[in-house]
This record gives sequence, C-alpha cells and structure tokens, in this order.
Amino acid sequence: MATTATVSISSDIAPGFGGISESMTLTQAGTLTDIDSTSGFQIRKLSAVAAVDLITMASELVEPKDSVAAKIFIRNIGNKGVVDKSVGVTIGIKAEPIGLLYGGDWMMMPLTCIDADDITATPATDDTVVLEYVMFYEEA
Amino acid sequence: MATTTAAVTLTSDLLSDNMSVSASTTCMKAGTTADGLDQMEYGYVDLPTGDEFDLVGATPTAGKASKLYLKNHSTDETLFIAITQNSQAIGKLFAGDWMFIPADFHDAAGDIAITANGGTNRICYALFHEGIALVAS
Repeated sequence: MATTATVSISSDIAPGFGGISESMTLTQAGTLTDIDSTSGFQIRKLSAVAAVDLITMASELVEPKDSVAAKIFIRNIGNKGVVDKSVGVTIGIKAEPIGLLYGGDWMMMPLTCIDADDITATPATDDTVVLEYVMFYEEA
Repeated sequence: MATTTAAVTLTSDLLSDNMSVSASTTCMKAGTTADGLDQMEYGYVDLPTGDEFDLVGATPTAGKASKLYLKNHSTDETLFIAITQNSQAIGKLFAGDWMFIPADFHDAAGDIAITANGGTNRICYALFHEGIALVAS
C-alpha cells in the first residue's frame, strides 16, 4: 500500500528559476513503512464567517498517533463550479492561523494529530465555499 | 503579470478503490484575480540540531498571500525537522517529505520556525510572496 504526493511549481518571478518538481511517499515516522490510515476524502461546505473544525482530532473513529508523520491535503474548490480567487478561508491549527486558502488554492501540511491541535477553517465571507480534504496518519 | 503555478497529484490505495486527486493553482496576490505573486526567496540550508531557527529572515507583510514550499532533502529516514509557528507545533517533515502552505505571517511572532532532529538536516525552501518588511542594516 502506498500513498504518494507530487508537487510541481513553476514561476517566472526570478530569471533562471528552474521550477520545483518533487515526489514523496507518505511513510510512518522514522521508517520506510507506508502510512496506514486515512480520514478518507471529504468535503465541507461553509456559509458563515465562523471557525469550524475540519478535523477534530479526538473524534476520529480511528485514533491518530500523536506527533509522528501525519499529513493533510486541503483544497478550496469554491461553490458549484464558481471559484473566486479573491476571497478565501483561513486554515488554522488550534487557535493559530496558518494561512488563507484562496479559491482554487491547495495546501499540503504535516500535522501533530495531538487532540488539542484540531484543524480549523474560517471563511472570510458568508458566501458559500466548499473545502475538500483528506488526512493521512498513523493509527495509535 | 508574474505567474507562479503550483500543481499537486495525490494518489493512495488505502481505500477500497484507488484515490487520485490532481489540483493546480495560480498564486495570486491577496484579494485579487489578476495580479500574481511577484517576489520570491529560494534556498538550500543545512540545519544543525540544537536550536530553533526562523526559516524566513524577513517577515512578509501580514495579511498578504504568501506561499511557502519546504522539503526535507535528508536521506536518512530517521531524520526530521519539527515546524512551528508562533510556538504552535504544525508537524514534522521526515526525510523526503515536503509541504506547501499559505503562510500567514500575521506578525513578527508568526514566523515559521524549524528545528532539526536526529542530525543535520538538509532542507530546501521557496517562499513566494508580494513584499517583505526589510530589515535595516
């Protein structure tokens, strides 16, 4: 079983920048063993300027192991095919804002999976927006 | 307009049917649909164990649309870097792992800090942004 993620970044900001193209196989902490659990692929529709938990760590049906090699992928897919790149959703961990995910943007981030470190989402406006996400982790 | 594009392909066979997700985005300045990020930092760093270091030397302006790519290029799978922001643990990147996040840099305390564990870790990072607070010499 394997979970892989490949990133490709191109940019014409700096002359001579050759871009980035890297792959990783998601493995368990400190080993070459493939990661073994996932939240499954999910979507969440948000329609209010209020923080909600995308992932409540203590409520996962399969308890995640703390402080190892978990990752989460999140993407702002807009709503019903309309993607507004000028507004976004702030993704946070616990009370700390990590960054604003604008329409169409995606992120891949490591996680602690500690019970208190829930993944939060706070839309910038009341306009409906949908996030899709999947978490990969080790079973406790 | 400067154009920075970030694409990802994610595959997994952990579910009963194979999952494959592909996404691509053009990185825009905050609140715009027509003006792309136009500044960047890019580097390789050997990170020794012991101390926590700020990854970004100068703070991009708060509330802007910075994007941060970070990869641990170490080859020993037991090595990892721990990443924090404003003392909040984000997670760990083991050898070969990468991340790509919208970085908030909400104030001076919002810097991304990294700590090497297990030995010296070689990391690569790229920060795409729309302006930084330069530090007077």
